[in-house]
Amino acid sequence: MDDDPEDIELEAELRQAAELLDPVPARLLRDAAQAYTFRTIDAELAELTFDSLAAEELVRGSDRPRLLTFQASTRTIEVEVAGAGDDRRLIGTISPAEPIPIDVRSRERVTTVTADELGRFQTGAGLGAGPYSLRCGDVVTDWFSA
Amino acid sequence: MRVPSGKAAVRTDDTGALVRAAARGDSEAWEALVGRFSGLVWSVARARGLGAAEAEDVFQTAWFRLAEHIGRIKDPEQVGAWLATTARNESLKVLRTGQRATPTSDMDMLTPGIDEESPEQAVLESEEAALKRERARRLWQTFQELPERCRELLRALIASPPPSYAEIAVAFDMPIGSIGPTRARCLKQLRELLAERGITGRPGHS
Repeated sequence: MDDDPEDIELEAELRQAAELLDPVPARLLRDAAQAYTFRTIDAELAELTFDSLAAEELVRGSDRPRLLTFQASTRTIEVEVAGAGDDRRLIGTISPAEPIPIDVRSRERVTTVTADELGRFQTGAGLGAGPYSLRCGDVVTDWFSA
Repeated sequence: MRVPSGKAAVRTDDTGALVRAAARGDSEAWEALVGRFSGLVWSVARARGLGAAEAEDVFQTAWFRLAEHIGRIKDPEQVGAWLATTARNESLKVLRTGQRATPTSDMDMLTPGIDEESPEQAVLESEEAALKRERARRLWQTFQELPERCRELLRALIASPPPSYAEIAVAFDMPIGSIGPTRARCLKQLRELLAERGITGRPGHS
């Protein structure tokens, strides 16, 4: 890069200002380190293949619930994020349908719910702070924020 | 964090080696990645004016995703670009829900903790340090007035430690060759704004 020395100086000064006025919060560094302890090595990762927030031309401030689809080779998991804050809950369907337990993982705790004969499941409130990930048998979904 | 016995921690500048070591279970390698790329992820999360709470969600989601993907990253050398892209995509999703920080709340962020400062501390802070802080605050305030495209690119470029142009090019979906010229144009614009507001030179240089 053939950089203008003035540019280099201004950029360095901006970087200092950012470090002073908008640093990475220390708590977030701990969260990032903690994320590693959540990784699963004995499950297939179901990747996010549909996200209503990414797909639609949403009107700003639209309050339609967010819909997510995760796809693994053996299973599809669809999730709707309803409510907000402490009242946030997840409603979803697994296919193929099977009455099996589903672990809802958050940063704070794991909540286990059971799908019904049609593969439907629903959590109560009190999931803890996001992001979230679901584990269903040998499939685990990507993390998603709410 | 302790490394399990019998496993040597990777101490290297080689990003790809850190990713591969973390994928094998080396938690020190993971922490090295956190140290190296947290600044970039945070900068990208804040680049489009997301409020602190939304930017925190974006930051956490990017790192939790990486933890699950660590053994599946196609190009371990470019994990910084992977993280930055994930953070940018997530922040664009949040923007679509209309949860952008208002200018007011951004201004609030410019004077963090000012009320917590005791008179004793205020006296202890040297005049020079106070000038420096005031200058940083005015610089930062002027920076917020740049057009969105400039603010976004520069905010990411001034992450600590500084990201590579390759990482920025991938995250912002820009040709790598256009980053340098865009950066120069944006810095020029900032310099003009600073001049208009009578903010020139470094403290002590003016």
